[in-house]
Amino acid sequence: MKREDIGSSLFWLLLGAGVAYAGWDLGLGKLRDPGPGFMLFWVGLIMVGLSLAIGAGALRRAPGAAVALWAGSRWRKIILVVAALVGYAYALERLGFFLTTVLVLIFLFKAIEPQRWTVAVAGAVLTALAAYGLFNLWLGAQLPRGALFG
Amino acid sequence: MELLQALGVGFSVALQPVNLLYCFAGVFIGTLIGVLPGIGPVGAMSLLFPVTFQATPEAAIIMLAGIYYGAMYGGSTTSILVNIPGEAASVVTCLDGYQMARQGRAGPALGISAMGSFIGGTASVIGLMALAPPLSKFALKFGPAEYFSLMVLGLTILIYLAHGSMLKALLMAAFGIVLGLVGLDAITAQPKLTFDRMELVDGVGLVPIVMGLFGIAEVLANVERQLRREVFDTRIRGLLPTAKDWLESRWAVVRGSLVGFFLGILPGGGAVISSFLSYALEKRVSKHPERFGHGAIAGVAGPEAANNAAAGGAFIPLMTLGIPPNVVMAMLLGAFMVHGVQPGPLMMAQNPGLFWGVITSMYIGNIMLLILNLPLIGIWVQVLKIPYKILFPLILFFCLVGVYSVSNTVFDIYLMIAFGAVGYLMRKFGYEPAPLVLAFVLGPLMENNLRKSLILSQGDFATFVTRPLSAACLAIALFLLLSPLLPALRKRREVVAMEEVA
Repeated sequence: MKREDIGSSLFWLLLGAGVAYAGWDLGLGKLRDPGPGFMLFWVGLIMVGLSLAIGAGALRRAPGAAVALWAGSRWRKIILVVAALVGYAYALERLGFFLTTVLVLIFLFKAIEPQRWTVAVAGAVLTALAAYGLFNLWLGAQLPRGALFG
Repeated sequence: MELLQALGVGFSVALQPVNLLYCFAGVFIGTLIGVLPGIGPVGAMSLLFPVTFQATPEAAIIMLAGIYYGAMYGGSTTSILVNIPGEAASVVTCLDGYQMARQGRAGPALGISAMGSFIGGTASVIGLMALAPPLSKFALKFGPAEYFSLMVLGLTILIYLAHGSMLKALLMAAFGIVLGLVGLDAITAQPKLTFDRMELVDGVGLVPIVMGLFGIAEVLANVERQLRREVFDTRIRGLLPTAKDWLESRWAVVRGSLVGFFLGILPGGGAVISSFLSYALEKRVSKHPERFGHGAIAGVAGPEAANNAAAGGAFIPLMTLGIPPNVVMAMLLGAFMVHGVQPGPLMMAQNPGLFWGVITSMYIGNIMLLILNLPLIGIWVQVLKIPYKILFPLILFFCLVGVYSVSNTVFDIYLMIAFGAVGYLMRKFGYEPAPLVLAFVLGPLMENNLRKSLILSQGDFATFVTRPLSAACLAIALFLLLSPLLPALRKRREVVAMEEVA
């Protein structure tokens, strides 16, 4: 975890510094009347301190005990799933709830752990119909019909 | 007498048909998600968050609470029949429950687990009833300094009990506070960290964060590993434990209930830790410790009573102080707030119907769960056979549509996906999501109470150490934070953390 800890601590260091700056920028106020940036500033500084401590701890650790974080992981599948989710968000208000749901579910059923077409299509259509009934009709949520269907 | 009156009010609310229906829906869904590995009570509660918008506050909280304690029942079924815990609090049930199933005693294992859960759950409701009123009265004396210090202590205990690096858990809590502070400032209405996005003016939503960190990230982790499970293929007979089984497990249930209830009150995954502690305790007091791990019934009964009792105990800090001790209770706090109810010391006086209605609904819910998990166990065995490759697209989809239906904005979907990816990476790099979520909920409350304390004390920080309760909370928090520097305490913390990971 040595390399990973150094990398992640750098990330948190930058984020903490950004938060502290944002707090400073918002105004710290006075101790008897703290401003809107007071808490952000101090929490940001704490983040900086903690990330420095994590990074320093990792630097002190002896190399060699490296753990292969990605060994044996099916990271391509992860990327496919995340891409499907982003695709869903992008298409939802353009293609509408029903079409987007069916397409993305078929993709997930086929691309990650491949199912038969009948299972994928039937599963996707039935789920979309059930969810439409549950969320739109029963709960009164306004699921988008899509720009294509007006 | 006062208590009887309160119970009367509670039952008159809990027994209304609509509340009974929501209670049943909650415990049913709770058992379902408890049985299914890959989605925990937090994910399920956030999924069903939108459902509660249509309901009365009583019905909403009754249902969400039902999901939580229902999951404790369901989780044990998966542990016993598949040797995979349905949720974290049932990890230890695998040890002896699965061994019992292999020896042809799946029925008594499931039976004692349901009965132990029932007794633990009911005992904790009685404890909750007894402790909540005096604690509420006591909490009325709290000022902003006490609240701030109590929240610091709550977060610190959660961080102390986090497995892995305490520094990383602290960092996550700090990040959670920052996320909680996004939006308009409570006093000056200045936008904070909104980056000129209208969607962030009201702050970051709890639902996208929780669904991302606990729903999406969990699925990503499972997809990566290719989760396989085989249901123990046996006919389940004789669910009712024999007299000998009862003799062997009666004290385990009593001890488990007590351990669970008191540990449940403390912040930081009480249900998980109490089940491990109960198991360790039973092994230590048993005349035949060598049987543990080979199908000892006390090793199932104790932890199951403990995790259910802890689920009940966790309601105490939320209902009496308004401070959630864990992520599930943070979700409940969110639900209370959506309905304009502020849990805390005044809730019992201002909303007696809601307060006692939720508590008494747990009695009814526990009886429903006993029926669902004993005569109807066959249903859950069938549910267990649904393969994960069919299940995970559905979980993802319900996360997507659930988060959209809360806010009707695609922005929240993107936010959830981002937190899903971040949550997955956090697991990889050894950062825990629980401190982040609890700090996210507590962040604005902490800021508010900190600023109020400083305004009231004219900027004198001594206010936090001159008030006895505040000083005590901060002293304990400081001790816990510095304890890793003491070798003996560090060792003890590592044992607890290791047990939680196991």
